[in-house]
Amino acid sequence: MLIKDAPVIWDSLRSIICVYKPPNVTCQRVRQTIITAVCTGLNEMECRPPMDYVSIEGNPSTQLTVTVKPNLADHPLVVGPRYQIEDLKCSWSNYLGLHSSGVLLLGLRNGTKAAKLIRENRPTRSYRVSGRFGEATENGFKNEKVVERSTYKHIKHANINKLLAAMQASHQKEMFKSCGVDLQSQTAYEMACEGPIRPADSKLPVIYGIKCVQFEPPDFVIEIQCINEYETYLKSLIHEIGAKLRSTAHCTGIQCIRHSYFTLENALLRKHWTLQHIITNMEECIAIIDEHENLVKQKKAALQ
Amino acid sequence: MLRRLIKTCTVRTLGPFRPLSSVQKIENKISTVENSSEIIDPRLVSNSDNLNENPPESSVLQPCKEDISYVAPYLRPSFNFAAYVNKSHTLQQLLKLGVRLYKWEKNQEVPPYILQLDFDKDIKSYIIFLTDLGLQTEDLGKLIEKNPFIFKEDLENLQVRINYLKYKKFTDEMILRIVQDNPMWLSFSTQDIDKKLGFFQKSFSLTGNEVRSLTARKPRLITYDIEHIKLNMFVIKEEMGFTPEEMKQIVLQTPKLFMNNQHRILKTFEYIHKEMNIPLETIVKMPQVLTCREFRIKQRHQFLQKLGKLQFDTKKPNYISLITLVSGSDAHFATEVAGSSIHAFNAFLKTM
Repeated sequence: MLIKDAPVIWDSLRSIICVYKPPNVTCQRVRQTIITAVCTGLNEMECRPPMDYVSIEGNPSTQLTVTVKPNLADHPLVVGPRYQIEDLKCSWSNYLGLHSSGVLLLGLRNGTKAAKLIRENRPTRSYRVSGRFGEATENGFKNEKVVERSTYKHIKHANINKLLAAMQASHQKEMFKSCGVDLQSQTAYEMACEGPIRPADSKLPVIYGIKCVQFEPPDFVIEIQCINEYETYLKSLIHEIGAKLRSTAHCTGIQCIRHSYFTLENALLRKHWTLQHIITNMEECIAIIDEHENLVKQKKAALQ
Repeated sequence: MLRRLIKTCTVRTLGPFRPLSSVQKIENKISTVENSSEIIDPRLVSNSDNLNENPPESSVLQPCKEDISYVAPYLRPSFNFAAYVNKSHTLQQLLKLGVRLYKWEKNQEVPPYILQLDFDKDIKSYIIFLTDLGLQTEDLGKLIEKNPFIFKEDLENLQVRINYLKYKKFTDEMILRIVQDNPMWLSFSTQDIDKKLGFFQKSFSLTGNEVRSLTARKPRLITYDIEHIKLNMFVIKEEMGFTPEEMKQIVLQTPKLFMNNQHRILKTFEYIHKEMNIPLETIVKMPQVLTCREFRIKQRHQFLQKLGKLQFDTKKPNYISLITLVSGSDAHFATEVAGSSIHAFNAFLKTM
């Protein structure tokens, strides 16, 4: 690290970072780990020295001496390290559940505003969801007890593709219905001409694209491009696929591979959650945001 | 910075700080008062101040010749040591030893106790005692920080506890290591330590030498919470299925395992035993793998699985032992053990 001054680095932490959230770790824990890593890294650098303490000693009736010493009341051993964990603000832009892994955007200090803007602009996310036919579990994920078993030999790749295409079409129809404008109006027609649009509601999951990329019975992997989704929704989606194909299915893994313009390439692995890597990552993220202004500021309802 | 408000000091305990710059006068008065009571009530001292002995006829407008630099308002209660450290010789000396005073503010009982101590009277003798055992300045600072109530114990009691260890045939280096590594040891009475050492000797059926080497290896284990250790023993014997002899081997090789959280070691064990199909005998030979976090082993194991380089049979070529799987940095593992590159390993990690 070329800069040794901790206050300079602290001032420069004002944007978002892109982190790879490992599976079976909560978002809160990721946030705490990042905050701790940043604070310990800053405290190891050269921090502000103790302020000066002017002490006037001596007998007032004879001679008073004025000395300037470092103020022990400001010493790091007395008051604590300069950068405290409670002082660093950090918030996430999209929430990933316990079992999901993948791209997670965190905003540090002033970056919390950018993270909020990105979240409110509702960018699309891409997921790779893997599932397994033949068993249905209590919560739709592989860690719980199996509730139902069924055969899956009758399922072919073509069946899955047909089902997923039908799902995508029905979601597109719903999407137009929830655009917030009367369907019979001219505005709705103009919006439809531009292509897929963002829903007006922030609670309704909308799927823009769904495709089966791998099928080795009983395991299969689908890629979903969607908006407003949450972990339980994706698990129930897998369950629904199993039900529609006259079998049963449960989810074995969820991975967020893209969050608008941030992909897995930009994501920082757990072993790289140190101050130096976080700063380089922040610079990359700033470049991405500068390049694509619509991340932070929406001009149209159409999907870009 | 939010700190919990610690109601620390009454005026009584702050009394010694009031007349701080005229220490000489206090010492004179202390020597006269010492015969009557051990604890000097500062109000007694202040009552015989020069200020009150002024002749009543002098007016305030007359020039004053006395040294009134010590006249100051009472020090008020504060929630941190920073308010007192510039004026307190004791706290400054503790700072020089490297004690982190902010760590004491979390515990409500420590600051009122520390503030009424005097360095030369109370603390110095303990420091001399500990440096005689061989402790360096940094270790002294750490010990005082972790165990400030050591100054409550009698020096004779501390000496008795050290003599007990010598009687039990602990060498001087072992005793130094015990005091260095476990700051709380000296606060336990001889009977307590005897009970704890006896517990370890009985539960693991250790000989005298083994008890001594175990204590020197991990002194904190001996004074650790006994319920936690019993729980870990249950986990290792019943849930994992090791025999008592194997458990004894484990405790002598990795004593830290008994201080770990049982859910964590159970998770690691389940992955190693059930998913990787490693038999118990192999795990007993290298119990350090049980202290590893599950995700680390999982990552490396699945990477090797993907490359097809898994070989846990000692007799076949390209054998990879559990230790090499777990130890070393990721770069070392990716290049030496897996024969691939760190980029491939990182790319694999992003697919998990």
